[in-house]
Amino acid sequence: MSANDTQNGYAIVLASSELARVQAVSIIGSIAAMSEIPVDVFVTMDGLLPFEKETVENGDFDVGPVGARMLEAEDMDVPLFTEQMENAKEIGPMRIYACTMAMDLMGNTLDDYVDLFDEELGVSGFLQKAADKQIVFV
Amino acid sequence: MSESTITADVTIDSRGATCPGPLMDLIGKVKKVDTGTVIELQTSDRGSTTDVPEWIEKAGHELLDSVEHDDYWSLYVETR
Repeated sequence: MSANDTQNGYAIVLASSELARVQAVSIIGSIAAMSEIPVDVFVTMDGLLPFEKETVENGDFDVGPVGARMLEAEDMDVPLFTEQMENAKEIGPMRIYACTMAMDLMGNTLDDYVDLFDEELGVSGFLQKAADKQIVFV
Repeated sequence: MSESTITADVTIDSRGATCPGPLMDLIGKVKKVDTGTVIELQTSDRGSTTDVPEWIEKAGHELLDSVEHDDYWSLYVETR
């Protein structure tokens, strides 16, 4: 895809812990990044919960009907968002940021999360990165 | 069931994977091969049969053929 029809990319705010939403952000963001469209994902509020190491290890996600099916489905191979984002970051311009405030509220540091985050960021930092991008709020 | 006369240089077996697995497999491969390479992408994901061609067109590659087998599809792509 050429850069001229995709503006300067997407800044996705992920503020939900619901697996289906996290997975949707991962799918859309990953494919965009793999198509050379810059993607910044700002993970904030409850959005950080599914990225906690313990949650991922135990598969203890907040699921609705589709999320539950996604985890159960043995006839379909659905890669988890963590794996998808890791692949996408290797191939394309995807950056993932953790919200400092939400981390502080939970008494966490970046070490408590899976190794996907580029750095932690505050709201000003995010707005700066998002300034030339289309913002998608999830 | 129909057959294609196209011979692929590379075959990607993404059968069993849901969206966006086949597309991610294809993008990963496209970035590694030379221009003019013919790739056969095998997928059993119905959505990918329309979604992958969208990406191919947008990315400037060419969809040579789409062949339906009993329980999967073969998409033939030539990289540009």
